[in-house]
Amino acid sequence: MVVVVIMTVIYYLLNPLFILLISPLFMGIIKKIKAMAQGRTGAPVWQPYFTLHKLFKKEIIYSDNSSFIMKVAPYLNIGFTIGAATLVPVLFLPPEGSVPANIILFLYLLVSAKFFMALAGLDAGSVFGGMGSSREMSLSAIAEPITIITFAAIAFVLNTTDITQMFATTASNSLTEFPTLLLTGVSLFIILIIETARVPVDNPETHLELTMVHEAMIIEQSGPNLALMEISHAVKQTLLMAVLINLLFPLGMPDSFTFAGVALGMVSFAAKGSILCVIIAIFETSLAKIRFFRLPSFFMVALFLSFVTIVFELIL
Amino acid sequence: MMDIVTTGLMTHLESRQIGSRFSRGEGGEYYLRVPGDGIIEAAGWLANREDLALIGIWAVPGHEKDCLELYYAFELKQPSPALVMIAEVKNNQAPSIYKIFPAAINFERRARDWYGLDFTSLPDTRRLLLHEAYPADFHPMVDSDPETLSSNLATTEYSFKKFEGEGLYQVPVGPVHAGIIEPGHFRFSVIGETIFNLELRLGYKHRGLNKLAEGKTVAEVNKLSESISGDESAVNACSFSLAVEKIAGAELPKRAWELRTILLEMERLYSHLGDLAGMLVDVGYPIGASPFFILREEIMRWNATFTGSRFLKGAIIPGGLSRDIEDGMLQKFKFFLVTFSRRMRKALSDVDESAWVIDRFETTGIVSPELVAPLSLSGPVARASGYDGDTRQLHTYGVYTGLKYTIPVKTSGDVLARFRVKAEEAASSIDIISETIARCSPGPVFSGFDPGSGQAIAMLEAPRGRNIHWLRVKNGTVEHWEVITASFCNWPAIEHAVINNILPDFPVINKSFNLSYAGNDL
Repeated sequence: MVVVVIMTVIYYLLNPLFILLISPLFMGIIKKIKAMAQGRTGAPVWQPYFTLHKLFKKEIIYSDNSSFIMKVAPYLNIGFTIGAATLVPVLFLPPEGSVPANIILFLYLLVSAKFFMALAGLDAGSVFGGMGSSREMSLSAIAEPITIITFAAIAFVLNTTDITQMFATTASNSLTEFPTLLLTGVSLFIILIIETARVPVDNPETHLELTMVHEAMIIEQSGPNLALMEISHAVKQTLLMAVLINLLFPLGMPDSFTFAGVALGMVSFAAKGSILCVIIAIFETSLAKIRFFRLPSFFMVALFLSFVTIVFELIL
Repeated sequence: MMDIVTTGLMTHLESRQIGSRFSRGEGGEYYLRVPGDGIIEAAGWLANREDLALIGIWAVPGHEKDCLELYYAFELKQPSPALVMIAEVKNNQAPSIYKIFPAAINFERRARDWYGLDFTSLPDTRRLLLHEAYPADFHPMVDSDPETLSSNLATTEYSFKKFEGEGLYQVPVGPVHAGIIEPGHFRFSVIGETIFNLELRLGYKHRGLNKLAEGKTVAEVNKLSESISGDESAVNACSFSLAVEKIAGAELPKRAWELRTILLEMERLYSHLGDLAGMLVDVGYPIGASPFFILREEIMRWNATFTGSRFLKGAIIPGGLSRDIEDGMLQKFKFFLVTFSRRMRKALSDVDESAWVIDRFETTGIVSPELVAPLSLSGPVARASGYDGDTRQLHTYGVYTGLKYTIPVKTSGDVLARFRVKAEEAASSIDIISETIARCSPGPVFSGFDPGSGQAIAMLEAPRGRNIHWLRVKNGTVEHWEVITASFCNWPAIEHAVINNILPDFPVINKSFNLSYAGNDL
């Protein structure tokens, strides 16, 4: 019993901390690969850490029109995201039943974080923030059912809604046992692209006033508040990547806490995450941004594959 | 020998008992002096001619006090480049011809700013180039006393058109933009994401160039002309020099024109390459854009090698060129262009293979062909909308006469059409450069001349379209200098092109035009 409690405590400390620390690196890797694909040298992969360091030293400027929302939103945002980070094991699997890692809870923690980000976008009363929030919410309204269906399909395939158990199942079985997971893997990848505001949905590189979605929402943020928003965004990306990685390629994930196991878990997750980052970067560079009103057709690919997964599972 | 338009106009005016006086300018253009009350009649007759476009209206101080001469320039087909109608108006009152030639409206607003001219029935009497920081009655071309500047500031705010309705809101963009670009304000009226109306407000880069030029020598004004618009330095310097040379009757050595042609086409090449890259960046396809950025940079380095300036400044001067370009260097460049052209084609075919990019370009930001004539559009913007005209061919100058090159024309008028027109023009610039280098003749690149006195119009094809310099020189000093860049007429086309497009598509539409702010504001 004591062992379970200690392991749970270690999990709650180590898991979010590791995710927080490694998330900017993944951002940096994607940026680096994209720069190289364009024939540029690009900033070092550590650049996001330097940027965050810089932002934490800067002062915060609030618009005269903004209310308390602007002040609390960054903290709520990062809070919800870190909360979500406790639900996705990346280093080792916590003892069964010790973490309420429900998939629905996970998704809605992320949605809550997004909600406060959008609210902050509206709060300052600038046209661009409002535009970004309205766009983000329209996209979310379309993306949400797709996300739900995809995760429902995964839950259907693995017979559980608990993330820890999902990972435990995939870790102890070969992928050939669940071939339909590959289909949902594609859906998950599309959700990852949508949720992290990447090409073809949004362009993370641009600050072009009129085209941006995510960047427009956080345009009024400054200093440490902006840093928190940026970290939260990076963590969200890592979490969705972790779900994808641990469902499809769980190799190297220890099922309980040992120092050697955790060290291996760190290395293997960093390695797999980096490879996924390269894939994301290549995916992004090979596409142009899609026309805003044609985005639903891109989303539908994910929806379709998730449906097919459920149908396969029912028939076979 | 007069052309059919001018004789026709004179006959018509005569039948209405309106006297007119014909003269010929040093630039081959025709001047027709008509009385102030004959403007509407003459413009009305000219409007019925299809082979004629209004390319400029400007004012020049008259001989008597309270007297202004209004110049109406119309582009003609052969043999003369332009018919300039001159009308003397008194007491700052002039009729507006915007109902006959819609493009007149901005020219008249500009003349109103500069001279305080009141155009009767002009529907838009807001200031065009002068902002609120200038006193309400400040008109730089008649009275530029700085003392009047410090007092009596115009306090009335510039009013944009008001639109009201359910779900309609306004998005102000600029003048400071997210990027290293020139200042300009865009006021969008939007329903959801769909653009209902766009209003431009420019003038942030107004420097008063034509006022600065007054009383300066032609060499000094040549420097000014280079700073009209940074990426059109060569063509503006060349237009100005051409006007000076026409007045002086200077004969240039052949090599001067050959080298000028090379520089002008290099300017077109690097401008268009930048535009192609910019359009791709704006649809979120940087990997397709980077080859064009690299190609552009290489041309700019050749610019520096040839002239010492990446933007070709200081190269073209009245009388020829400020310095020769070594033949060995030219041959090297010609050799370089062979692989360059291959790489450009490769980059273009890569773009063609991306369905995502083509989907964004197609049907976006359409300029309908019917707009070309009323707005006096020119350049790639007009040629992407079915206008088959290029100053290099219509009013040929320099060594363009003997060259074979294609001028692409598309009809769909969308971003894709402008992309293709610019891509094909870039390719044809490479051909022109190679051919000119191949036949480059030896000899000097400068010939001295006496600037003399007189007035002349010079028209060249800038990367963005028709570039006009009108100049009056007295004993080598500039008395009056008027510049009309292609951007001035082409800007309003954007207001039409964006309607019913969505806001996120505006950047790529704007980039497909890529007009000059500085060139518009002067």
